[in-house]
Amino acid sequence: MTNGSLAPAPQRREGGFEREPARRVFAGELRESRIHFKEGQDEKSPSFVLLPTGERCNRVFFVGTLTEKKKQGEQNLFYRARVVDPTGTFFVMAGSYQPDAMQQIARLEPPAFVAVVGKPNVYQAPDGAVLISVRCESITPVDKDTRDQWVLDCARATLDRLETSPGTPDGERARREYAVDPAVFRKMVYEALAQLQL
Amino acid sequence: MDFSKTAERISQKVTSHGHTVEMTAIEAKLRRLVEEFGVPPVEAERTVTNELARELSLPGLQTGGPVETKTIDSLVPGEWVAVECKVVALAAAPSPTIAQTGILADSTGAVRFVVWSRANAPVLKQGSWYRFESAVVDQYRGSVNLKIHSGTKVTEVAGGGALRPTLVPIASLSPGIASVRGKVVQEWEPTSGRILQSGLIADETGSVRFVIWKEGGRERLNPGTVYTIFYASVDDFSGRPSLTLNTATVVPEEGDIAVSIGDATFEGAFVHLAPGSGLIKRCPVEGCNRVLSRQNYCPVHEIQPNFQYDLRIKGWLDNGKETREVLVPRAVTEDLVGMSLEQAKEIAENTPLGMDEIFLRFRDALLGRYFSCRGREIDGRLLVSGCTTLRFQPERLAELLNRAGASP
Repeated sequence: MTNGSLAPAPQRREGGFEREPARRVFAGELRESRIHFKEGQDEKSPSFVLLPTGERCNRVFFVGTLTEKKKQGEQNLFYRARVVDPTGTFFVMAGSYQPDAMQQIARLEPPAFVAVVGKPNVYQAPDGAVLISVRCESITPVDKDTRDQWVLDCARATLDRLETSPGTPDGERARREYAVDPAVFRKMVYEALAQLQL
Repeated sequence: MDFSKTAERISQKVTSHGHTVEMTAIEAKLRRLVEEFGVPPVEAERTVTNELARELSLPGLQTGGPVETKTIDSLVPGEWVAVECKVVALAAAPSPTIAQTGILADSTGAVRFVVWSRANAPVLKQGSWYRFESAVVDQYRGSVNLKIHSGTKVTEVAGGGALRPTLVPIASLSPGIASVRGKVVQEWEPTSGRILQSGLIADETGSVRFVIWKEGGRERLNPGTVYTIFYASVDDFSGRPSLTLNTATVVPEEGDIAVSIGDATFEGAFVHLAPGSGLIKRCPVEGCNRVLSRQNYCPVHEIQPNFQYDLRIKGWLDNGKETREVLVPRAVTEDLVGMSLEQAKEIAENTPLGMDEIFLRFRDALLGRYFSCRGREIDGRLLVSGCTTLRFQPERLAELLNRAGASP
């Protein structure tokens, strides 16, 4: 292992706020994530989901098809929605802490191409099943061209992670925690891209 | 333990200055310090000698060995040092507890200094060389400085000749004192009445903001002119360096230099539209142009009912690895969202949500889309001068299929 790969995660600017980048992840990969951790002791320090391809992720950006939306709760109204990409389904949530996103969902009529920015969370259901849902910051209707661009963008990002994460601390951790063959994700990427040609 | 040798050494020093002193008294003092108070013998010798020196007013007596004279570039916070350097700048003392403040330099670098009022130090003259013994190296707002206190011995010394400060590339500035050569590429409207001038200075490597505070004898710089700036204070201003020129010697230069003002391009998805985007109102006072609140309130010029409308985008582009704040001015905004300022005003006047309606339309037009923005980067923010909407590229699909299909 080279020295460089052991370097700590980039230092945050002291006192300053740095926006976390939005990772591009296929639903098929996000669904396999289990590890949720927080860096730092501060109440405001960001929390991350460790992706199986070996990168931490505090925020995600994806474009897919909104297939279903459901209003839930009475006093604490919130929306659940399903957004589908070529590899699977994202579970999206918008509650009263995301008033803008809630209003955006309210105006959407499935099916529709949507671009979603949000923060992934890992939940354990009472029956032991693990669920990943994305707390939505915004959900905006877009066109098919944008969806296709995203599939390319996400395919590239996933291949980049597969190639660069081995040897990095997050990459090694993912390899220990998730006994998943990287070839599975390479195949997933290939199949997602192949669907665009149809 | 035997203290007679040490006592003898001390007494010899004193008698050599023509004074007499009780050997037994010295010995008793040493014994008390070492045996009762656990002071190391070397330190005890120093303490007793210094005490005698003070009593008998013999400044030459101080020990501690010959203190090694340090160079300015080797100062480390927390150290007590001796330095020999030149006063290259004096500044107005910001508080009555400070007698003098300014900049000291030697051939290796420069450092800010503070002389406390209680130090009773001689008044330092600009351009003179001094030797400071037992000055304290301290750190203030990220940069090293030198404190002259009552225990510091200050002596004027013969000059070390003219100093030639090393010029630093603007891109590599860090807090402290630095000399640069750069061109004034921008002049900004002062954000405070205490500012004489602020703007941007650039050289081949990058740009940095500068500020000159109002003070007698200070003059504005001419935009477009190249200056060599000796001994400017480099401060940390919201995580970025900023040059304060009040302490500096600023020399205009002939000719011109090539400058880099951070031409940059960023491609990514638009992930967040920040408040303050859309249709905004600006303060009409000449040179102000600040954004007004909903109640037409300007933080400086108060209520301004005759505001001017403007369109802009403030938001974040994100490429999945990093995220960049972008600020898009009206001309580019109009093209990007396909709405002119006139149309926006009309919509705002004829819809129940007013200006919010424009924000919502901007959001629906921008979020989730891929853009390539060009512009100038200032303080981590891209001031966009041109922007294109990106489209799906089939050739990239073929390329990625090959990449994914190749065995790992």
